This record gives sequence, C-alpha cells and structure tokens, in this order.
Amino acid sequence: MKKILLLVLALIPVISFAQGFQVNLEGQKQIGMGHTGTGLLQDGASVFFNPGAVVMLPDNYIQAGISPLMFRSVFNPMGTNVQDHVENKVATPFNFYAAVGPKNGWWKLGMAVYTPFGGLTDWGDSWAGKYTLESLDLKAIYFQPTLSIKLTDYLSIGGGFVYNRGIVDLTEAIPLTNSAGQDGQAELKGSGKGYGWNAGIFIKTESGITVGITHRSGVSTTINNGNAIFNVPSSLQSSFPQPNSFKATIPLPSTTSIGFGFYPTERWTLALDANLVGWDVYKALAFDYKINTPQLQDSYSARNYQDAISVRAGAQYKACNNLFIRFGGGFAGTAVQDGYVTAEAPDAPRQFVTCGLGYKLASRLDLDVSFEYEHVDARTQTNIQSQLAGTFETNVYIPGLSLAYHW
Amino acid sequence: MKNFKIYLIAGLLFLAACKPEVHNPAPTKGRADFTRFIAVGNSLTAGYSNGGLYLAGQLNSYPSIMAKQMLAVGGGTFNQPLFATGQENGSGYLKLTGFDASGNPITAPVTTDLAIRGILPVPGFGNVTLYTKYTGDIENYGVPGIKLLNITYAPYGNLNGFFERMLPGDAPTNTTDYLDFVTAKSFTFFSDWLGNNDALAYATGGGVGDVLTDKNTFAELYELSIEKLTASGQKGVVATIPDVTSIPYFNTVTVGAILAAVQAKNPAAKALYVNALVSGTTYAPRIATANDLIILTFPTSMIGTLVTTPYGPQPYGLTPVTPIDNQYVLDANEVALTRDYVQSYNTTIKSIAAQKGLAVFDAYTYLNNVKANGLVVDGISLNSSYISGGLFSLDGVHLTPRGYSIIANEFIKAINSTYGSSIPLANVAAYPGLTFP
Repeated sequence: MKKILLLVLALIPVISFAQGFQVNLEGQKQIGMGHTGTGLLQDGASVFFNPGAVVMLPDNYIQAGISPLMFRSVFNPMGTNVQDHVENKVATPFNFYAAVGPKNGWWKLGMAVYTPFGGLTDWGDSWAGKYTLESLDLKAIYFQPTLSIKLTDYLSIGGGFVYNRGIVDLTEAIPLTNSAGQDGQAELKGSGKGYGWNAGIFIKTESGITVGITHRSGVSTTINNGNAIFNVPSSLQSSFPQPNSFKATIPLPSTTSIGFGFYPTERWTLALDANLVGWDVYKALAFDYKINTPQLQDSYSARNYQDAISVRAGAQYKACNNLFIRFGGGFAGTAVQDGYVTAEAPDAPRQFVTCGLGYKLASRLDLDVSFEYEHVDARTQTNIQSQLAGTFETNVYIPGLSLAYHW
Repeated sequence: MKNFKIYLIAGLLFLAACKPEVHNPAPTKGRADFTRFIAVGNSLTAGYSNGGLYLAGQLNSYPSIMAKQMLAVGGGTFNQPLFATGQENGSGYLKLTGFDASGNPITAPVTTDLAIRGILPVPGFGNVTLYTKYTGDIENYGVPGIKLLNITYAPYGNLNGFFERMLPGDAPTNTTDYLDFVTAKSFTFFSDWLGNNDALAYATGGGVGDVLTDKNTFAELYELSIEKLTASGQKGVVATIPDVTSIPYFNTVTVGAILAAVQAKNPAAKALYVNALVSGTTYAPRIATANDLIILTFPTSMIGTLVTTPYGPQPYGLTPVTPIDNQYVLDANEVALTRDYVQSYNTTIKSIAAQKGLAVFDAYTYLNNVKANGLVVDGISLNSSYISGGLFSLDGVHLTPRGYSIIANEFIKAINSTYGSSIPLANVAAYPGLTFP
C-alpha cells in the first residue's frame, strides 16, 4: 500500500542548439578574411556564400577544404574554484564545392557539400553538470545543388536546394545509482533529414563596389527513429524499456546576409558582411519516445531563442602574383537568453580574428590555409530548467586547409 | 637542440593558453577560523543513513563534506569515529533488494561485518548495544539518538552505545557527560545541530513511549551548551529543527492510500479508525483523517485481520473497537503538539544564535520548502518523497549522501554569509543518491 512512484523528472535529455552550433567555416579563402564572401567573387565557395555570384566567377572550380576545430570550454560551478574542462577533441567541419559552366556564359551549375551546423563536446562523467550532459556529437551535412544565372553583366542571381543529413549522439548521466555506485546513463543516437533552399543576388556597381544579398532558409530536421538507450539499475529497467526510440524535430535557423566588396587598389580587396540568423524559430524542443512509462514521459522544454546578428570584416593583400595574405575578424551576438545557456554549446557574445595565406601552386591550383581564433565571452548564469549555476567560457581554435582547382 | 627547446616551450605555452580558465578571487576564511572544526549533534551529524550507522554513511556525513570544503580556507584534519574495515557495516542498516509487483520496495537488513561488541542490560533502562571502541582523535561528535536533554547527564555514556564507543571507559563506568566530552579539547569553530530527537523520538513513536522535552528545559540547556561552545570566543553555525512532518517517515503510508487499498477489496469499508489524542493523556478511537500521519514502518498487512473484542472478532483498523494502535499513528492533535514544541525550540535556537552572532541554517524552513516545492540541483530533480525523492534514505528520516551534500552546502552558505568567508560549495552531483540493485 506504499505508493511508490519513481519519478525521475531530471531525465529529460535535451539537445539544445545555439549560435555555438553554427559553424562558419565554409571556405579557407573566406575564413582568412573573417569569413566574409557574400559580396565577393573568390572561388567555388560562392555556392555557399552567394549562389547569385557563382555565374560571375571567371573560372570553373572544383575544391575541397577541412577545418579541424578545437572547442575548449570550461565550466566553473558557482561558489567554487572548480574548473571543469571539456576533453580535447577535434571536430572536422569540411567543405566541397564544384561550380561549372560555359566560359563567360549566362549560367553555371554548382554543387556544395558542407557542414553549417555541428558540435563536439565531451564534458566527461564526473563534472558538476553530468546530469545535463556528458557528451554531444552533432553534425549537419548540407548537400546543395545550385543554379546561377547572369541577367546582365552587372547583375546575377542564383538559387539552390538543400538536403540536410543530421547525425546526433548525445549522452547524459541519470541520477539513479546502481550497487556498484555508478550512475545510470541515457544515450540518444540517430540520424534524420531536412530540406531547405537558398538564394542570392550579386551586383557589380558602377563605382566598382560589389554587393551580395543572400538568404539561406531554415532547415527543419526530423529524426524519426533514433535509438533511445537507457542504462539504469536492473531493478528499475522496466521503467526505461529497451529497445526504445525517439522522434525529435530540430529547427536549424535561416541566415540572411548582405556583403560588400571594395577594391581600393589592385592589390587590396576589402570585404564586409553582416548576417542575421533566425534563431527566433527555436521556441522549444520536444522529444517523443515511442514507448512511454510513468517515469519516461515525452519531454517539452522551452528555448525561446532570439535572432542574432554577426558582423564580419576582412582584407586580402596580393603580395605578388602567386601569394595572397589575408586577415579579418568580427563579432557575433548570442541567441540564447539568460537562463537558457546549456553545456552543449555554452553560448555568449563572441569575437573572432582570422588570418590566412593563399598560394598558387600552379596557374590552376590554389592552396589556401587559414587560422581562426574565437573567444566566447565568460557567461555566468543559472539555467532555469536544470538549475546548474556557474560560468562558462570558451576558446575555439581552427586551423584549416583547402585545395582549389580551377579552369 | 636549444632552438628545439624554445619551440617546445612555446608550443606548450600555446597549448596551455588553449584551455580557458575562469578566475575567481581565492577563497577566504573571513572572520572565522576553521583550524579545528568540530561537529556537535545527533544521528544526522554522525552520517546515519538507511536505518543505521556504518562506514559508507559516515564518510558522507554533512560535517565531513563541510570539512573537505573548509580545507580551501585553512581547515584542518577532520577525524570521524569511523568503523574499521571488517566491521564497516557498524550497527547494520537497511538495503533495498528490489520492488514487488505493485512497485513497493523490498528491503533487507545487512547483518554481516557489524561492529557490535555486546549487549549490556541496564536495570531500569533496558538493553544497550555496545560497539567496538574508537580510540583516535574525534572532530565529528555526532551521536545517534542523543537529545539536547541528554547532554549534561553524566551516566549517558552508559546508555547510548554510539556515545559509549567514543569514550575511553567501558559502560557502566562512564561519568563524562556529552557537553564536557565535546568541549574537552580546544577548537576554533563548531557546528551544532542538536534538538531533533527531543521532538522526533516522541513523533516516530506515534506519541507513545517518549515525551517531548519541556520547552523551558530545552531553552536552558541550549543556552548552556552555546555558552560552553563559545566560551573561548569560538564562532560556529547552528541549525533549526525540521518540522517532523516534512520527512517521508510520516508521509509515505497515508490514511487515504490504506483506505483505498481496503476499499479495492471490500467496497463496503467506509473508514479507518485510529486511537487519537483527545487532550492531556486521554486517547479515544475516532475515524482517521488525512491529518493523521501513519508511520513508515506500520505493517499494513495488519489491517482487516480479525481481533478478539468484547463484541466478537472485529477487523483491525476498521471499527471503533479495533482502531489502529497509537504507536503507529501521529494523530492530528499529536502533530499539532509536536509542531508547537518544535517551533518553540526553534525560537530558542534562533534567538540564542542571534545573541551570540552565530550563523544559522534554518533547516525547518528549508525542508518545508523542499517538501512544498521540490528542489532541482545541477539537473537533478529532488523532493521529499520516499525512495523516489532522492534526498531521504530508506529509513525515511535520515538522508542519502546526496541529501547530506545539499545540507552541507546550506551550512556553508550560512557560514559564508555570516562570517564573510567564501568556503567553496560541494559538488552535489558527485554524491550518490539511494543505491538501487
């Protein structure tokens, strides 16, 4: 007659997205210049940066690049001097582009494969927030066929279709201790897909300034049949039936950009980009488990994100015919309001500086290297849902390398 | 080679710079001195859990958690009268072995590797269980079962086996009272959480067999003990006494749940009967209400069994002539009486603490809040429910290691705000809750 309900309310694994998950690493030449390129004609990465500009590229391109990313976060629980660091792991955002059409023709076809969202954080199983997150590995890979059309010599447009393949693997501890003294663990693992589009306009003005305007749509990505693995003490396993699956829809936000290119001398290219990221779509995140029990209920948690802007500027100096020196930087606001910051991607206003070198290995082959350092401001707050209180701070280090063949 | 070294150092510096650090001011002791911190109190202070005192519980006692955190601000060694390996199960305790088909917990006593050295019959008192002596230094003076009422009673060292094991002499020869014992060696800081048993012993016995400590006696003894603890200007922290009804021991087996189970089998059953306090020491049977609290250990299988009465055999608990025995019920009037005493004790504690400028952890308010609203810490959802709540151990009175770490942090917060210190908080997530098979 003792009524025992093993309510485990904290058991609501939640993947959260933030500005931190937007990976702005879509071309080495552009990264070198502060990740600008909406208003420039650099190379095949225009398929991403501005589909409208692709047809204006003087050459056809095929190119690939990789940007090993080291995300170094620390959490300092409030009222302590403890420093919980993430494991040293390296994520590998990449980009691949092809842009092909008749020389100086009125059209070009493009294809892009890139990773605009992702995250790799492993906080381990002994930090203060282990019941909110142990590790997360998330990748969104966009495939984007694109058509770009020249309307006049100074105006071109373009658009592409986006297919997203999203892959997620998240673990967190469950506060149920077994006889060996170990916590339970939840793992949510799966892949899903989503669709979207993007479009852009590219203008060469009479003054010589180039202008680009683009919109990349939001991509609502649904994981339909992810694995929901719950490892709990055996006397409680029936409350967390196995095997089980989950369904979740994650709205990846849209990005609207405007960019300018300036060419004060023959050797200098200056660029300015502004992005508005439509995080506002991200109101809440819901998990729907296939098998529910009184202890394992579907979850719904508010996120209430806000749109965020970033502003970027960069410069390229042509040192000689086959060597380019690039540098840039910028800043980005945060999409996450106080009380909603989580360990998955501890978001806060961020600043970044970049540099890069371009070298023409041959007349048709470009080697570009880039380096980006990003600092995510220290942010002290108490999460409304988990009550995890403390300060997150993050440094990000991103070297990068790409090869582009053009003809 | 020289260049190589420079590159290596530069590389290492760069890697070191990779990791961000959040810089806080170094912890300080403020106006307090934690060189020798002693803990005064009862079973809660000793680390009692799951119905017993045993090594694993002692290692997670709230004073030991506090002492660990005090190391950052000049705290010294904190010795506890630990049970030795081989006798690590101490007094024995309850273990969860599983759940039955309807989800009720099944517990079993742990009876191996105990530290029991004998049973001493004390005339006019009863049997006292004696434990293996502890001979080392002591900073945690928590004695399970002790009341504030007992602290100046010289023969108490012969009547409480947990106290007896700390004393050099064997029962029945001990004559050192508790207050003298804990203050014999100089100390710089203390915690004092005495007084729970002055009300709890009455309540857990359903209001039978024990009495509430007189309010004035409580006030006199509290003042005396604080005078002695602060005699050399020591600073300290005290805690108030929780509302006994805030613990699962009184909130798990409810009148409503028992009646529902009875009615499931016999829809004709109308009510439960309890033997309830009318006034003074007069008890009379009446219909039970939700305000009557049934204790956790009430054997519910007794309900409905036939009892011989002058009116023939009658089902237990279901008629006015066969009410649930007094010892299983803290009835509404007894609850009110206990509350009144606890509130008076707490007024005493707070006013004496205020006079002496001591820090106060208001456990009464804190645990009532947890009972009303639950608690979320570091992504862990906790509440005052039995087993599922995560705070209370299987005995329904004492806490889990996670519960004790939360209490330790509340003590630390009270100390920090009173003495301007910044003792770092303990990591609640690192302390386990109940252990499940």
